[in-house]
Parts: sequence; structure tokens; C-alpha cells
Amino acid sequence: MAIEPIVEVRELSKVYLQGETNVVALNRVSVGIQAGEFVVLMGPSGSGKSTLLHLIAGIDRPTSGQVLVRGINVANLNESALAEWRNRNVGFVFQSFNLIPVLTAAENVELPLLLTSLSSRQRREHVAAALDLVGLTERAKHLPRQLSGGQEQRVAIARALVTDPLLVVADEPTGNLDSKSATDVLTILQSLSREANKTVIMVTHDPKAAAFGSRQLHLEKGEIVA
Amino acid sequence: MTIAGFITKNALRNRRRALLSVGSVAVSLFLLVTLMTLVRELTIPPEDIGASLRLVVRNKVSLAQPLPWKQITQLDKIPGVMAVTPFTFFGGNYKDLKVTSFAQFAVDPVRFTNVFVENRSSKEQIEAWIKNKAGCLVGADTMRRYDMKIGDTLKLTGTFYPCDLELKIEGTYKGSVDDRTVFFHHKYLDELSGDLGTVGTWWVRVASAEVVPEVRKQINQTFENTSASVSAETERSFQMSFVSMWGNIKVLIESISSVVVFTLMLVTVSTMSMAIRERFRELAILKAIGFRRREIFAFILAESFGLAALGGVIGIGGAALFWGLLDVQKLSNGFLVYFEVVPRTMARAAVVAAVLGVVSAIGPSLSVAQTSVVEGLKTLD
Ligand SMILES: Nc1ncnc2c1ncn2[C@@H]1O[C@H](COP(=O)(O)OP(=O)(O)OP(=O)(O)O)[C@@H](O)[C@H]1O
Ligand SMILES: [Mg+2]
Repeated sequence: MAIEPIVEVRELSKVYLQGETNVVALNRVSVGIQAGEFVVLMGPSGSGKSTLLHLIAGIDRPTSGQVLVRGINVANLNESALAEWRNRNVGFVFQSFNLIPVLTAAENVELPLLLTSLSSRQRREHVAAALDLVGLTERAKHLPRQLSGGQEQRVAIARALVTDPLLVVADEPTGNLDSKSATDVLTILQSLSREANKTVIMVTHDPKAAAFGSRQLHLEKGEIVA
Repeated sequence: MTIAGFITKNALRNRRRALLSVGSVAVSLFLLVTLMTLVRELTIPPEDIGASLRLVVRNKVSLAQPLPWKQITQLDKIPGVMAVTPFTFFGGNYKDLKVTSFAQFAVDPVRFTNVFVENRSSKEQIEAWIKNKAGCLVGADTMRRYDMKIGDTLKLTGTFYPCDLELKIEGTYKGSVDDRTVFFHHKYLDELSGDLGTVGTWWVRVASAEVVPEVRKQINQTFENTSASVSAETERSFQMSFVSMWGNIKVLIESISSVVVFTLMLVTVSTMSMAIRERFRELAILKAIGFRRREIFAFILAESFGLAALGGVIGIGGAALFWGLLDVQKLSNGFLVYFEVVPRTMARAAVVAAVLGVVSAIGPSLSVAQTSVVEGLKTLD
């Protein structure tokens, strides 16, 4: 008996109009992802990995098809409802760490919580817990430029986690890191899926990184091939 | 962290740029307030309770042509005329000044006090002045400026009159349109200048505002076809005729002000859009995290409004303080009297600052709104 998937992608297509020709970034992709899975998206450059990730995370709109997350068709939400949905359900980690340079580590982590109704004390507790999870309690007051790349990426993970989202999406999170830092980051992502039962979806080119996942999907020319 | 704290940190992230934007707004608004105050100074209509009830009668040919003394008996008889005084410009120089900052007029003291009924002086001083033919009444501003006291001697060198005056200050007045002028006995001038039998102008007080037009017509008709036909006008329009000489300057100053405001707009708008463009990627992240367009617009607006408001407070407040503390009358040699930065001027400049803050937020907000999260993430730092 198949468990009801938490993310269900149905016949998802994304077509870009480039001058006269259509660029098919994603071609009728269907896939189901269960809670607690650590899915790794692999494939050559331009195969549509980022596009799929963006569509699942609700920061891009499909040309056709559906993304259902816990039964909600993400593509049907309007701009502002979608923003709120992302705030509650998705944590983002990017290749370049994308922290706000004028905010300290703790403040960066706190950012998504400003949109919630939590009191400032509750926010501080959540931030402390998230920083503790990525092992950066000591660095809470540091600015991004006072942190190493690996530490910055761990702050970004803490920011992705602090709202306790359903999904964590990561686009080449180790692309800019040395192998030691990369291992730290991957270990954290792995433990999120194993211990906290979060659904993690990660794009990577690196087979060593892919080995941390529980399942691999290979894309080629906008289609899942394995 | 609070939202306000976040906005402040963003606004100050590039200290030098924040300083420059605040500074350029401040300097421009200082300039704008100064220019607006100058325009106001040059076009200020004389406000006086009695001004609308007074007529100035001058020679129809020009203000420089005198009028014969004997006209006074006819003027006195015209119905509606309450009082008439000769009013002759002496134009002397005080001490060794090349340009004297106060005018001096020869008047008939008794008639004068009947024409200028708004009592701005003490009864005793007026009486002492009336008694002393060589006495004079000096405006409070002039008294203060040259450190004069009642009882002092005031020496004036004639410029176009072939005589000098040696007057004793018998009294002072305060609260008129222009508290600088010196008034003295016409008789004294007549004696010294060899009794020319003429006056510069007549100043007339009319019974009521309703009869002013009729009295004006009567006066003009009475002396029509005589050797000295006259032109009577209200004190206000008489003074405005001097002011209108400044009309062109007003236009000039106003165009300078518009250029200042326009340049300021360009500078602030481009600074703000630069500040936001640098942060496109971060704003895309904020959107991904769940901040909506209107929240991002609020951030940008608050930042640009905050910078413009700070610049405004410094510039406008600075101008009010600066011109308030400075003795403009002294520095301008009496050319500018009040140079007062009035609340109305400050309010208008504040509106400019506020509009500036809002306008410069619009462009960046639109481009942020039009950029999707994915596009924003692709922009390079
Ligand atoms: N805004 C766009 N306009 C036109 N084509 C686009 C746009 N964004 C992506 N594409 C195209 O869609 C295809 C898939 O892009 P995508 O970014 O998903 O690839 P990817 O698998 O993430 O590649 P990489 O490993 O290089 O990041 C590519 O062919 C790309 O050129
Ligand atoms: Mg990609």
C-alpha cells in the first residue's frame, strides 16, 4: 500500500518562449514525494532541475500541470496567498548563501518569523533552537562577513528551518563549499529528514553529495529518466 | 529585531550614500526655504489696520514732483477726509553711511497723529515731539540698531535738500509695518530749506472703507487742470507699486526654486533606485521567504521617506534656525527687514520633502514588484 505522498507533481510542464522558439524546461513531469524523504535531483546542466525545484517551492508558475502539496494546488494560489504559503511551508537554501549582510546571524534567522504572530520572546526561542541545530549558537551575533562560507550556509539552513516548514528545498547548497563544510551541511540536511521527518529536496551535481539523499531523481531534457 | 530596526539597518547599510542623500535633501531644502522666504519678503503686502483707510496723494506726473502747500486747505474740505498731513521724503544720510537703512519724512506732527491713529507710541513722547520743532520720532528698529536713546541728537546730512538736520529724539514707536522710519517737523525742514512752499506727498485718513473710492475720486477731481494735478491711491496699492518692481526678481527666484526641486528629485530618485538595485537579490530572497509585494513596498517607502524626512528636518529646521539667529536686516544693510521663515514656508518645504520620499520609492518598488523571485535570484550581486 502506497502512503499518500506529501508532494505530488502531476504532468508538470514549464515552457519558455525564447524569440520564435519554445524552450521546454520541464516536460510533463510526474512524481510523488513522501514525508521524510531526502530527494536528490541530478542531471546535466539545463535539464530542468532548478525549474522543478522552483515550481515545487512555489516561487515559479508552471505552464501546465499541477503541484499538490498536502493536497493544495500551489499553482492556484494568488500572489499574496502563495507568499504566505511559502512562509509557512517552505524553507529555502541556495547556492550563494543569500544572507542579508547588515543583519547578524540571529537576525537573519529571525527574518521569516517577522511575518508570523509570534512574540519577540517566542521568536528568540525559535531562533536559538534553529541556531543550536546547525551548531552556531556561539555565532549568533556575528555578521555574515564575519562567518566562513560553511557557517553562512548553516545560518541559511537555520533560517530555512526556523518556521518549522513542511519542505526544505536546496539548490546546490554545497556548490560553493569546501568538502568539510559540504559534509557538515549535508549531514544537517540528512538529519532533518531522518530525525525531524522533514521533506528535503536538493539539487546537486556532486555524486558524493547525492549519496546523502534517500532517493535520487535524474532529469534529462526536462524529463525524469531514472 | 523589529521591522523598524530592519528598515533602519537597510537605510544605513551604505553610510556614505545615506549621508549624501540626507545631505543633498537638507542642503536643497535649506536653499528652497531661503528662496521662498526671500520671495515672501519682496512681495509682502504692508499689513496695517489703518492702511486701507489711508490715501496717499502724489503728483500725477511723478512721485519726484512736489505738491504745493496750499492744496491742504482744499483737501481738508473734501467730505470724508478726516485728517491730512504733509509727508515729505528727506533722504538724508546718517553719520557717514553711504546708504542709510531708514527713511526720514517731514510731517506735521499734530496732523500726523490724526492720520496714523493706531497709537504705537506713548502719549507723553508724542506730546514732547509736538512741542519741540527740532524733535523727531524714531522707529524702534532704528533705535536698537544704532543704539539710540531718547534725548540723543540725530544728525542727518541732506542729499538732495541743501541742508543738514540736527534732530533731538523725543520719542519712539513700535509695531508698524516698518519700524525704522524717522518722522520730524515739516516746519523745521521748511525753515532750513528756505521755505519752498511744497510737500512731497499728502497722506489722508478717510472716514470709512466704504467712502474710500468716492474720496479718491473727489481728490483727483479737485486738482484736475491745476498746475499740480494729483493721483490718490490707497496706502496699500501705493506700497505695492514699489513691491511690483520686484516682480521680475520673484519670477527669477521662483524658477531657481523649481530647478532646485527638480534637480533634487533627480538626485534622490536615482540614489534610491541605485540603493534598491543593489539589493535585488536580497529582496528576491525576502519574497521567497514570504514577504509580500506590499510589505516590500512598505520597506522601500519607509526607507526613502525616512531619509527624505531626516534631510527635510535638518534642512528646514536649519534654515529656520539660521535665519532666525542671523541679523538679516543688519547684514543686508536694511534691504531685508524681517526675513522670517514662517510656518507656511516650512510646511510647503516639508511637503516637497514628503513628495520626494514617496516619489523616489515608486520606481524601485515597481521594478521589484515586476521581478519574479526566480529572476531576482539570478541577478548577480
Ligand atoms: N527565464 C528563462 N528563459 C528562457 N529559458 C530559461 C529560463 N530559465 C531557464 N530556462 C531554460 O530552461 C532549461 C532548464 O533550466 P534550469 O535552470 O532548470 O536547469 P538546471 O538543470 O537547473 O541547470 P543547472 O544545473 O545549470 O543549474 C534550460 O534550458 C534553460 O536555458
Ligand atoms: Mg540549476
